[in-house]
Amino acid sequence: MPSRTKPIEKFAQAVAKCSVESSAYGKCIVADYNSVHKDKCLTEFLRLKDCYMAAAKRKS
Amino acid sequence: MNSAVLRPFLPRIVARQTPSSAIYNVRAYATQSLSTGNPAFQVFNRNTKYQQRERAANNVERSRQVDYLKDEVAMRLTERLLDINRHFGHVLDLGANACNIARALTLPNPDPDPSKPSSPALATRVSHLTAADSSRAMLFRDADLPFNQEISLTREVLADEETLPYEGSTFDAVLSSLSMHWINDLPSLLSQINHVLKPDAPFIAAMLGGDSLYELRTSLQLSDQERRGGVSTHVSPLADVKDMGGLLQKAGFKMLTVDVDDIIVDYPDSFALMQDLQAMGESNAVLGREPGPIQRDVLLANEGIYRELHGNEDGSLPATFRLIYMIGWKDAPNQAQPLPRGSGQVNITDILGGGAVR
Repeated sequence: MPSRTKPIEKFAQAVAKCSVESSAYGKCIVADYNSVHKDKCLTEFLRLKDCYMAAAKRKS
Repeated sequence: MNSAVLRPFLPRIVARQTPSSAIYNVRAYATQSLSTGNPAFQVFNRNTKYQQRERAANNVERSRQVDYLKDEVAMRLTERLLDINRHFGHVLDLGANACNIARALTLPNPDPDPSKPSSPALATRVSHLTAADSSRAMLFRDADLPFNQEISLTREVLADEETLPYEGSTFDAVLSSLSMHWINDLPSLLSQINHVLKPDAPFIAAMLGGDSLYELRTSLQLSDQERRGGVSTHVSPLADVKDMGGLLQKAGFKMLTVDVDDIIVDYPDSFALMQDLQAMGESNAVLGREPGPIQRDVLLANEGIYRELHGNEDGSLPATFRLIYMIGWKDAPNQAQPLPRGSGQVNITDILGGGAVR
């Protein structure tokens, strides 16, 4: 049973490969976290998501 | 003497979602919320909570792995029994989880004192412990471990922790560790606990409260807000330290002590934290939460925000568990009373011999 990686672990591994993008997105939010609205950091998020998608694909 | 009495495995008779008042329609005592006319708020879905804990405990190995928090808190809680110089006849452990309190009671040398070789385990001061919990899988998870032989222990499956099926004045002490943060009607439960205690018996409990998991709460709020334009409840609302004193007092407890203790655990990433919470059976069970798991986009966003907002320098993510410890005593006529305010005759610096207080 432990040989099967849980989806959340796969997810975590893929996200870990995108620490630069993740940090850039975090910085964008934290820069002014009192006025967060929808898609405030859309560019940063899309960059993060692209990186994640690529990392997830590479893995499997 | 120390053979644990196990109740036979009977099928659950009570449907989980039946309101507790229907199960016990003979009410021997008035609960706080009904007697004062306060509405009983429903915050948590007790049925969901039950299922989460059953599921968590059924994965025995993983469930034991994440017992670090419950074991630590149980230890810190039982330490407080050392301050009470008496023998306890019958003790109730309410919301026992995997009997972490029973295990903590059997630990050798709970009171390291250099002048004595070692002190006996706390279990020697407890004649009998009843561990009560609603989750059978959780309660019986460790039923065949060696510590069971060192303490006289009965496991009892409750229909619901919110309604205690015990007679008044039954217990010489009630303990509760990391369970009461899932109770909907805390005032009612506290007065029920007060009711089942013998006069001049203590209630000692630890529960998660206040700012527990504030890191996760805030970062999930921010990621929800940015990704979806609104906030959903992912982390339970918790009782605050300053509320607990009032609640205990309202339930009739005397000589209250409430204090807080933060346990900060570092996790490699936010997913490890959430997985551990799930394995503990402590996932979100707030009524009116969104059904289904958190969206992946939100999780992805959350990881970055958590790290940026709260992350440690070494790259780990801290999670704060704020524990509220409380001690209350059931009223008794010959109980020690606090002296009136301002009646002290001795200056405390004369006794402690300290210097000037700055």
